[in-house]
Amino acid sequence: MSNLYGVPDFKSHPDAIVIGAGVVGAACALKLSGAGLKVLVLDRGPIAGGTTGAGEGNILVSDKEPGAELTLAMRSRNAWFEISEEIGGGFELEAKGGIVVSRSDNGKTALRSLSRQQEVAGVEAIEVGSKELRLLEPYLSHEVDYGIHYPGDAQCQPMLAAARMLRILRQRGGNVISGADVIAINKDSVGVKSVLTNQGEFATRIVVNATGTWAGEIAQLAGSFLPIAPRRGFILVTAPAAHLISHKVYDSDYVANVASGDADLQSSAVVEGTKSGTILIGASRERVGFKSDLDISILRVLAAQAISLFPVLRNVQLVRAYRGFRPYAPDHLPVIGQDPLVTGLWHAAGHEGAGIGLAPATAELITSQVTAATPFMDASAFSPARFTAVLAS
Amino acid sequence: MITIIGGGPAGLAAALAAGESGSKVLLIDSAPRLGGQYWRHLPENGAWGKQEAIRHDFEKGNQLRQRVAQSVNIEVLSNAHVWRASPHDEHITLHLLVGGVGRTIDVKNLILSTGAYDRSLPFPGWDIPGVMTPGGAQGLLKGNYVLPGKRIVVAGTGPFLLPVAAGLAEAGAEIVALLDANRLTRWIPKFHIVLANRAKLREGLGYFQTLAKYKIRQQRGSAVIQANAGSDGTLESVTIATIGRNFRAKAQEIIKCDSLAVGWGFTADLSLASNLNLKQDVLEEDKSVFVTVDEMQRTSMQNVFAAGEITGIGGHQLSLTEGKIAGFAAAAQFGHLTDVELKGKLEPLLAQRKKERKFASALISSYPVKPGWQEWLAPDTCICRCEEVTMEQIQDSITELGATDARTVKLFTRTGMGMCQGRICGRAVIDIVGRESGINPTIQDYISASSRPIVTPLPLGILEHAPHIE
Amino acid sequence: MKKLTFFFDGIEVSAIPGQSIGAALLESGTKVLRSTRIENKPRGMFCGIGVCFDCLVVINGVPNQRACLTEVAEAIQVINQQGSGAYPIEGAS
Ligand SMILES: Cc1cc2nc3c(=O)[nH]c(=O)nc-3n(C[C@H](O)[C@H](O)[C@H](O)COP(=O)(O)OP(=O)(O)OC[C@H]3O[C@@H](n4cnc5c(N)ncnc54)[C@H](O)[C@@H]3O)c2cc1C
Ligand SMILES: Cc1cc2nc3c(=O)[nH]c(=O)nc-3n(C[C@H](O)[C@H](O)[C@H](O)COP(=O)(O)OP(=O)(O)OC[C@H]3O[C@@H](n4cnc5c(N)ncnc54)[C@H](O)[C@@H]3O)c2cc1C
Ligand code: FES
Repeated sequence: MSNLYGVPDFKSHPDAIVIGAGVVGAACALKLSGAGLKVLVLDRGPIAGGTTGAGEGNILVSDKEPGAELTLAMRSRNAWFEISEEIGGGFELEAKGGIVVSRSDNGKTALRSLSRQQEVAGVEAIEVGSKELRLLEPYLSHEVDYGIHYPGDAQCQPMLAAARMLRILRQRGGNVISGADVIAINKDSVGVKSVLTNQGEFATRIVVNATGTWAGEIAQLAGSFLPIAPRRGFILVTAPAAHLISHKVYDSDYVANVASGDADLQSSAVVEGTKSGTILIGASRERVGFKSDLDISILRVLAAQAISLFPVLRNVQLVRAYRGFRPYAPDHLPVIGQDPLVTGLWHAAGHEGAGIGLAPATAELITSQVTAATPFMDASAFSPARFTAVLAS
Repeated sequence: MITIIGGGPAGLAAALAAGESGSKVLLIDSAPRLGGQYWRHLPENGAWGKQEAIRHDFEKGNQLRQRVAQSVNIEVLSNAHVWRASPHDEHITLHLLVGGVGRTIDVKNLILSTGAYDRSLPFPGWDIPGVMTPGGAQGLLKGNYVLPGKRIVVAGTGPFLLPVAAGLAEAGAEIVALLDANRLTRWIPKFHIVLANRAKLREGLGYFQTLAKYKIRQQRGSAVIQANAGSDGTLESVTIATIGRNFRAKAQEIIKCDSLAVGWGFTADLSLASNLNLKQDVLEEDKSVFVTVDEMQRTSMQNVFAAGEITGIGGHQLSLTEGKIAGFAAAAQFGHLTDVELKGKLEPLLAQRKKERKFASALISSYPVKPGWQEWLAPDTCICRCEEVTMEQIQDSITELGATDARTVKLFTRTGMGMCQGRICGRAVIDIVGRESGINPTIQDYISASSRPIVTPLPLGILEHAPHIE
Repeated sequence: MKKLTFFFDGIEVSAIPGQSIGAALLESGTKVLRSTRIENKPRGMFCGIGVCFDCLVVINGVPNQRACLTEVAEAIQVINQQGSGAYPIEGAS
């Protein structure tokens, strides 16, 4: 692979290098360039060829418990709509709204109390019963009689989002090189000095590590450490039938799974129609390393759970299934901030199953930190120093 | 027990070779009747008076079917789609959809013979009702006693256009024109190979006689470069052009027709081979992908054989020969044939395969598809029929969005993401992206085009209830 | 010779047992089997052997069935598939 876009003068001396052309790297590059920096994006593969290419594109506030991540998610959700304006859309962004349902008494109680707390934090959360649910989702199972409607939940097509942001980056004089594998990060007494790839060396004082699931490798190249590991997920894709389901609908068990530390398979149906016409059914979560074989028993569980929410899906055909590897940190929080050991190396990684939703706000935090501007929130919960502290103790 | 997936010429031959040697065989096929794409005839039922039009080699297929039916060792599972083959350490799990019901079978020894389908090239108007593949047109005739239209143009390239045009003419259709993009002169340096395969020569001459009998206009070095719809939205005419050696269109003409059968050779169906991660390779000459096999038709996976079109396009004779070799070799593996017996059986077959493969490769080099076809495309030409992606969208994904390979174009535009899973447009998109981006596709790009984790769509309700054996 | 009948968009069509729905419809003069979901374009059979998924029709209420593969059966209700096809709402009354 090679660079399609010629070689601008700054190529060997960009102000900042973003490693990773996924949705997080693309957002960081867009925001840094918006702050006036000349940015070069390097990826060993094509644009959006990593986990972004496997993501569903949900931009959720509904699945976050109050705290730093919810604050990040709420800002990020709005930031997506601002970015859409900024770059001229083209990535299927829509505020479709999410519906979280529960079918057990305990589940309902937990869901109600979570939504109350979220409301206090400023999230719009509307309690809905049987009748309202039927109006929102006519094909929903009659056994579902309680849920919370989150009108703020949104969706986009993440590969297009990354590509569209990088398109604007290029228009601003930035550059993207596909097929550039980062093999070393060189330092001097000041900090980061250059990035070495199989396509040459690029000098810079600012490096943003947006390599998602592989962020630990880049940290290691720079002589530091990040505990990012893969958490596998499968998605089922149906024949076009998106008109059957208008919101993102999921069972509240999902929230518990997202936060779970259990390595075994967890799964609860997350069902949604997409603008492209298909219905996506997720989302299993397992820690099995980068094991990629398609496990039919997992697909079967996902199908059963989806059908229990929407019986009509029984007659809808499964057409494709794919898997991706979410980048996760032990405490399930993203890593955003400067490396405590390497000056000039900034991490923007480890967003697990929310990297698409959280990309714009992550980029804003990185940009304000890099340019020493005031960030929109206190980002200490996301600091990479939290792992070094553990390591030292 | 030896399991065979695909009951075409290769699978039938393999089943008989193994079954008649004493092995137990399970023969799985998705069609209601065995025979594959070649023998797709309806059972004789006197409903139609023109059987002779499709008589060619029909008896042979019937005999093979009968021998399979009579063999106590061969069990047949028809109407059975294998929608996924999952490899495990000691066995392979086959997930099937049998007449609308889910079923799971664990197997240890497998012969894959999943065959091929027509290769298509996109061109303006190819999605208009009335445009079909030659295989599809022939299938209507052989398998349904129905003609695709009254006034038919047959076009594309390859020897298969001859039996299609001849058969349709015998059955009463008016063949307005038979166009092959390649000229017969490409055969001149290979004529000795033709002479060494006299049966093929005879078959070919027979078709030419039929074409002459019906005074069919034949034009080589010509192609349909556009199909045109009438007011009812169905095919009304085609624009044909004489084309150069590189397929660049020159003089044009419009001819009226209500049906077009157009195809460019065949594409192997490697979905199951990809499920099993079998080693595959790309033929330098036409970039077609095939499963690599050894002398005995063994694949890279232990106890898995492959035969027929999936090891390289070569027609039904070669498929039969390869099927026999695979069947005998598999039977010998289970001790149903001694080494000496196997050697005796294989000797003539190996010689025959060699001759037939030589002929197959002569065919491939005589009917090439040259890149000039891409110049027939207009910005609004539909490339991916399922997802309705146009040429312009593909170009934009490269120039505007920075896609550098076919997979990224797929992620950006949805080419190949529809219900056919890229079976129809996948190869064409690779070619288009290579040309538009200036970046040569890799071997892996071609191989990945048939990666389909779910081989054939199945209702979620079936997936939910399929028995859980794994 | 035995024939059987089925319905396409409510109109009776006769067919030979063993024929595909698509073939029987073609014989009765119907080439257009569906309209596409994005551009609302007419489509009919293309590959004829179950590979291209262009011949999709709704059979007995279930969309996305291949007319070229599905054999005719007595009295089945086949309809031209508009876009992604319609599904009945369960329990709707
Ligand atoms: C099944 C599934 C469903 C999901 N659904 C959602 C969802 O609905 N909403 C949501 O918000 N999130 C979702 N996610 C999570 C989301 O996809 C990820 O959090 C997000 O895509 C991470 O983006 P990224 O840019 O950090 O990483 P990536 O997209 O993985 O990008 C990292 C890039 O770094 C490159 N790279 C790595 N190492 C090197 C190197 N040495 N040199 C050069 N380049 C390198 C890679 O090639 C890659 O392109 C889902 C994930 C999965 C698996
Ligand atoms: C429509 C068509 C018509 C043709 N007509 C002729 C002709 O007239 N003359 C000629 O010489 N050549 C013809 N060919 C070329 C043909 O490829 C070969 O001649 C010959 O049929 C190849 O034999 P095979 O056994 O390798 O594969 P095929 O005959 O293609 O048989 C493969 C079989 O595998 C089954 N199968 C595939 N995948 C699965 C699965 N996942 N689960 C279960 N079953 C599966 C298929 O249903 C099929 O029955 C035609 C090809 C096509 C596509
Ligand atoms: S015509 Fe191609 S699948 Fe039916």
